[in-house]
Amino acid sequence: MPGKQLLMTFPVTATSHTLAAYLARGGYATLRRALATMKPEDVTKEVTASGLLGHGGAAFPAGRKWGVVHLNDNQPHYLCANADEGEPGTFKDRWILENAPHLLLESMLLASYALQVRNAFVYIRGEFDLPYRRLAAAVEEAYADGYFGERILGTEFSCDVVVYRGAGSYVCGEASGLLSSLEGKRGYPRNRPPRLTVQGLFKRPTVVNNVETLANIAGIIAHGAEAYKKVGTAKCPGTQLVSISGHIARPGVYEVEYGYPMAKFLFEDCGGMLPGQPLKCIVPGGISTKVLTAAEVEPLTFDHQSFAGAGSSLGSGGMIAIAEGTCMVRLLQVMLRFYHHESCGQCTPCREGMGWMHRIIDRIVAGQGQPEDIDSLYRISRLQDGMTICGMGDAAGYATVGILDKYRSEFEYWIREKHSQLEGNLEGAVHA
Amino acid sequence: MPEIFINGQSVQAETNQTVMQAALANGFYIPYFCWHPQLSIAGNCRICTVQVEGRSWVEIACNMPVSEGLHILTDSDLVRAHRKATMQFITLNHPVDCGICDKAGECTLQDYHFAYNGSPSVSREPKVHATKYHDLSARILLDNERCILCSRCVRFTREISKSNALGIKNRGDVSLVRAAEDSPLDGDPYSDNVVDICPVGALLSKPFLQKARVWYLQPTPSVCPGCERGCSVSIWHRKAQWRLRALDPAQNTSIARVTPLENPAVNGPWICNKGRDLAQVFERPRADHALLKGKPVELAVAIAAARKLVGEARHAVALVSSWGSNEELAAFKTALAGRFTTFVKRDHEAMPGERIEDDLLIRPDKNPNTAGARAILGESSTGEPAFPADTDLVLVWGEGCNFARLPATAKVVFLNSYLQPENGHADVFIPISIQTERAGHYTNFAGVVSRFERCFAKNPSVADAQELFAGLAVGTAVTS
Repeated sequence: MPGKQLLMTFPVTATSHTLAAYLARGGYATLRRALATMKPEDVTKEVTASGLLGHGGAAFPAGRKWGVVHLNDNQPHYLCANADEGEPGTFKDRWILENAPHLLLESMLLASYALQVRNAFVYIRGEFDLPYRRLAAAVEEAYADGYFGERILGTEFSCDVVVYRGAGSYVCGEASGLLSSLEGKRGYPRNRPPRLTVQGLFKRPTVVNNVETLANIAGIIAHGAEAYKKVGTAKCPGTQLVSISGHIARPGVYEVEYGYPMAKFLFEDCGGMLPGQPLKCIVPGGISTKVLTAAEVEPLTFDHQSFAGAGSSLGSGGMIAIAEGTCMVRLLQVMLRFYHHESCGQCTPCREGMGWMHRIIDRIVAGQGQPEDIDSLYRISRLQDGMTICGMGDAAGYATVGILDKYRSEFEYWIREKHSQLEGNLEGAVHA
Repeated sequence: MPEIFINGQSVQAETNQTVMQAALANGFYIPYFCWHPQLSIAGNCRICTVQVEGRSWVEIACNMPVSEGLHILTDSDLVRAHRKATMQFITLNHPVDCGICDKAGECTLQDYHFAYNGSPSVSREPKVHATKYHDLSARILLDNERCILCSRCVRFTREISKSNALGIKNRGDVSLVRAAEDSPLDGDPYSDNVVDICPVGALLSKPFLQKARVWYLQPTPSVCPGCERGCSVSIWHRKAQWRLRALDPAQNTSIARVTPLENPAVNGPWICNKGRDLAQVFERPRADHALLKGKPVELAVAIAAARKLVGEARHAVALVSSWGSNEELAAFKTALAGRFTTFVKRDHEAMPGERIEDDLLIRPDKNPNTAGARAILGESSTGEPAFPADTDLVLVWGEGCNFARLPATAKVVFLNSYLQPENGHADVFIPISIQTERAGHYTNFAGVVSRFERCFAKNPSVADAQELFAGLAVGTAVTS
């Protein structure tokens, strides 16, 4: 196990996701105690003190987000769990939804209590089937046992939850696009200001937290902020779920304590690379983070500061291990095809730029590349950076620049020779 | 009142203004496509970038609130570079078919290209193609290749006309503006405003489609006579210096199109579709000869005959036009009101299917100057016309008179602009000019007085009502 575990603390069995199993693990006791003994602001204080970071990718402190919402401001507040997990390479929230749905629901109740939310939402990725069925069943169980609805556990606190299924758009995983979609509109992200915690869902203060961020709340309230801070590093308390895929021996979801050595994680916990396929590079946190070469990633520790120091980011914890022999040109082609397909088309630089970059890389792969195409890709990436309504323009640029910076020679080779320097690709990863 | 600084100059901004609003209100120009003063902020075109002094990045001015001491640069190197880049993104898949585009000459994209980019395309990729002629409604054509997806039209139908008739479907660079299936644009009486607010040549007016290059046209300020709102409009017609000598000379004196003329006191920047179709009102077949009992005569002969009838009448009733200008009505009052029992007539009623009234602009009285006539001629003129038994003369000015209801024994003097069977039945018929052939004022239902200017010269065989009334008064000489 890569360090201490806060979420993956029980063996996964055929029934470990049910309410009975969750209660047997001590589930909903924290909610019962908090409703009886804590004031809403105490819950927020505890979360703020814990230093819990957002686990959706940006690592924004959850307590600071919550702190913007004013209690008793005579308007409804909303809470939305972002379960629209769509960043390529990321599938860690799926583990929580499938195996610990009640942990998410109890945490959401605690958050709703803290933020005085009457109506909470889970916006779940439309393609998620088992996670949706597990979550929907858990909501039914929770309602049946009185954890949702009017006067929960005999207290004055009432809260309802709605599970809303997305319709298949990457951009709806962006908090404001998610809320637009939840309102029944096109999933267009919104300009800031106003922040969503000031004017979010239906123009009311709204907290949108990632599933994994929320799932940590129950533990923090149960054991206290001090206990939480003892896990991880000083600047990165706690753990992060990592979904690792690619040419790795044991792909899957791991809970990694912040500060854990990367080399140890990759080569011991994950069983190293597939036989005969040495590590070339790592996509560290979903494809929107810059790739790190094997030499760059091996000395790092698993925390935001370490990865930022290497010029990348832990992002959403969607790691892709890439073996030597993998063609980075085709890898970038796949990424740009994705961004082009997923651009919502609202703002100009992303709408036009994604297609532009995609057409350039397609042309290179078709053997019609020009030497200046590499500069064009750089230029378009730079011009999208910070110019779009949501972070997608930046993200596509990071992905592109990250690969071009480190593997420019492969692009030059393809443009010159009109075929790939390397024949390997990601899809070729074969797990025994 | 926060003080902000734009390019180093101090500006007093309003508390809730954005940087865009503060800049425009104080004479600083920031370019914009998607922003519109009457619509919500979309912030999608990204051309309105400005730089806060000291920051190494740019932000959009349309969504930036002003704050005390904010220092804004609207023309720094960074801002210029980003505007140029945004122009390159916007024109990446734009067909640049200005040569066949109605918008050319008044196109924001065209203007900005010269102002902020000016260099040839930096792309070697083929353009994304899209529907070139999509029928959005019976009145509007959409060219999706020219569309820059600013969403102004969509927001207009949601926020102003409230028809919700437009939306965007698909995503990314294959997004398309489309009419909603259950709420077609045909039912929106304000639909044509989207043609005006389209910053490019994507939304096109079918009646105006490829009728004229706009630089051959001039706008004359006028007032829409379609209802008592009296919206300010521009009537576009061919410039005198571009007079056609060949082809159809009627084009020199015809209305090419009608667009709103911004007037915050009356109509803001909008008009309804009826106002766009003024040509259908003003270009009906005209009466251009005076008649005595249906026999063509010289105008002066008809005027003399009418004056004789007025002089002989013992009890005369006048049905005056609610399409007359304040000047004409005042002239009528001065010259003739003493000799007539006067009633203001509703020249036009709503057409079948026409919207009668709504919260935006459309008013129930479909005549432009009922309020002006009432103010000039008095409240007593507004009742239902009554004809005493001894009525021996009826003066009918304008359309909308039911001649069957006039006393059979009374003589009829009829002043009208258009060809109508009744013209020949009147004892004296005098053709008169129409709104586009004279200047004047209308008073709208709320008391706002708006001026219209002359677009075309009138035919000499047609009288001008204002002069005519003086000429009909007893004891004066014939003046025209």
